[in-house]
Amino acid sequence: MLSMHKKTQVLMHPATKPLFFFICLVPLAWLVYRLAADQLGANPSEALIRSLGIWALRFLCLTLAITPLRYMTKQAAWVRFRRMLGVFTFFYASLHFLSYVGFDQEWLWADIWRDILKRPFILVGTLSLFLMLPLALTSFNRAIKALGGQRWQRLHRLVYGVALLTLLHFFWMRAGKQNFLEVGIYGAVIAVLLLYRLLRRLRQ
Amino acid sequence: LAWPYLEGLRLDEANHPLTLLAFGLYGQVLPNQNGAPLRLVVPWKYGFKSAKSIVKIRFTDKLPATSWNVSAPSEYGFFANVNPSVDHPRWSQAKERRIGEGGLFAKKRATLMFNGYEPQVGQLYAGMDLQKFY
Repeated sequence: MLSMHKKTQVLMHPATKPLFFFICLVPLAWLVYRLAADQLGANPSEALIRSLGIWALRFLCLTLAITPLRYMTKQAAWVRFRRMLGVFTFFYASLHFLSYVGFDQEWLWADIWRDILKRPFILVGTLSLFLMLPLALTSFNRAIKALGGQRWQRLHRLVYGVALLTLLHFFWMRAGKQNFLEVGIYGAVIAVLLLYRLLRRLRQ
Repeated sequence: LAWPYLEGLRLDEANHPLTLLAFGLYGQVLPNQNGAPLRLVVPWKYGFKSAKSIVKIRFTDKLPATSWNVSAPSEYGFFANVNPSVDHPRWSQAKERRIGEGGLFAKKRATLMFNGYEPQVGQLYAGMDLQKFY
């Protein structure tokens, strides 16, 4: 086993961030590769849109996992990766939205508007993305300084709303075919991550 | 969905030359996943009307119960004719993407009335309010 100090050194190593950055791009690279190799099945645009959505949800779970991880391992150094994970969540969610707009709706804004009104899960997903926008826009150091730590933190609690809206989006999307297994798994993960915070707060 | 699956057609629909009872597909015996040994094909209706793996056919003097209509009557009617101007309550049915037509950048196309068979089957529904009999 590595000592606490050694673990901190590994997490703080200057190479970890760039390495982590490239690891976060692997799902996208893999999707692009499968798209180019015609391995996304009979309906590639649908497969692409859904995969990007699932990856956005996974990155959201990872982002929310940093704080519990940091307390449980007593390693503050994990926070170095939180911003990158958060911005990657926004990145994958934006690609998910753009591929819906481009490949599913073919940039027809009147149709998109009708679709948003017709299918509530589209509305909720869109809302979730727009809630992420202020978080992504205030993710750089100067913005944190300009807002002040406390105000920045209060703003970034919006991520809990994003998590709930994203789950509702996923739940409603799968409700059409009563396919709730995966929704339950991601729901349980997010519930644990949020309950951990709540319980910790109550104990203080 | 209640088991067994039930579908029904009006007699004039069932007798229409476009309505097939199919034993095969592309010159081969019908595979199980496509509804072997015998399936219905009604090309101007939504896919669920083309019941697979038929075990029994009955003539009735009343409109028969059909599975999707029993399960969700506000969403699925007895007729289920392809109709771009009548939305499913939860989504639009005005456009379609044909699988295998150009991959990622395939354009959606406008769905045609009665799936393009309006000249052949339109007269079966003359005078009917298709908003009501969806």
